[in-house]
Amino acid sequence: MTTPIDVATLRSNDRPRWPFSQDVCMTCGMCACTCPVSGVDGFDPRKVVRLAAMGLEQELVESRWPWICTMCGKCEQACPMEVRIADVVRRIRSLRDRAQVPGILHKGLQAALETGNNLRLPKDDFLFILEDVAGEIREEPGFEGLQVQVDKKGARVLTTIHNKLVNTHTEDLKHWWKIFHAAGESWTVSSENWEGTSWGYFTGDDDAMKAMAGRILSQMEALEIDTLLWPE
Amino acid sequence: MEYIREGRIRVDRSRFSGLATYHDPCNYGRKAHMRFGHGFFEEPRWILSQCVERWVDLYPDRLNQTCCGGGGGTLTTGYNDERVFYGRRKMEQIKATGAQMIVVPCHSCHGQLENIKQHYGMADLEVKYLWELVADALVIG
Repeated sequence: MTTPIDVATLRSNDRPRWPFSQDVCMTCGMCACTCPVSGVDGFDPRKVVRLAAMGLEQELVESRWPWICTMCGKCEQACPMEVRIADVVRRIRSLRDRAQVPGILHKGLQAALETGNNLRLPKDDFLFILEDVAGEIREEPGFEGLQVQVDKKGARVLTTIHNKLVNTHTEDLKHWWKIFHAAGESWTVSSENWEGTSWGYFTGDDDAMKAMAGRILSQMEALEIDTLLWPE
Repeated sequence: MEYIREGRIRVDRSRFSGLATYHDPCNYGRKAHMRFGHGFFEEPRWILSQCVERWVDLYPDRLNQTCCGGGGGTLTTGYNDERVFYGRRKMEQIKATGAQMIVVPCHSCHGQLENIKQHYGMADLEVKYLWELVADALVIG
């Protein structure tokens, strides 16, 4: 990003027609001022918008910038021209070669698409963990009758599960279950495709997001449930 | 909300005696407002009011709140130094309230705040899911 731009390389006429209004940026810098990570690694939202507007998105795709940004939208809220900066960043993330997506984001997503959850956790292990945690809750006074009914047809509420709650944070499975029990709610969890996270949101993968959301919808239809608790 | 309002559950707001504060997650607040026309700002605050006696808002809050730094998948990218640095403003804002408990309704925010509190000398800060607070306040029987 430190080399001068050769005007002849700019592709102002054939740059992608993104619907995020990046071309109307006035370079005022409101976005850069409000961003909590402006300056880190040379990043700031205005530079992202300007590079995108000039058709230099490949530089952005190769940089760490879109992954340091959390797409929190504070820049966007400050922008007087209503440029959808968070969407620009997400689109740039989507252009990164999938093998180069940092950390476990794409690997987790791939696992979810293939096995129904980010951890590749087998169904039997999943069911064992649910029952184990339910057993722990039943030892607490007032919760002796607590039941986790999996794939319960006609329940009122279907709830998804964040993978960390059946991994390192099983204690945090208990809160909603206790509330459901106290409220006398009819609720259920799906034994397949229970994953509540949808990392396509982070990697810019719309097809994956549709697939994940579609699975939840199919479960609701199959189990005849009209209310979803999707806390992720 | 529906459970408390309809009396399907009862909660005891006297169990937590300290001061609490509330963090607006970007996705449920600002981004929901910008993308879908409704930010969930007042609903969680109403629930919070049912579950604790004393709480104060962070500054800035609601549409203007500062991201905690845990969103967008940053907990999983491996760029941890950047993520911890990102959270400094949020931690300063929490410290300024003097609260002993920060309540959040988001898995990413919870993970981030829990992960960085030690780094900012706030190891004693209690990071609580909104639904965990409700479960803790439940009156049984």
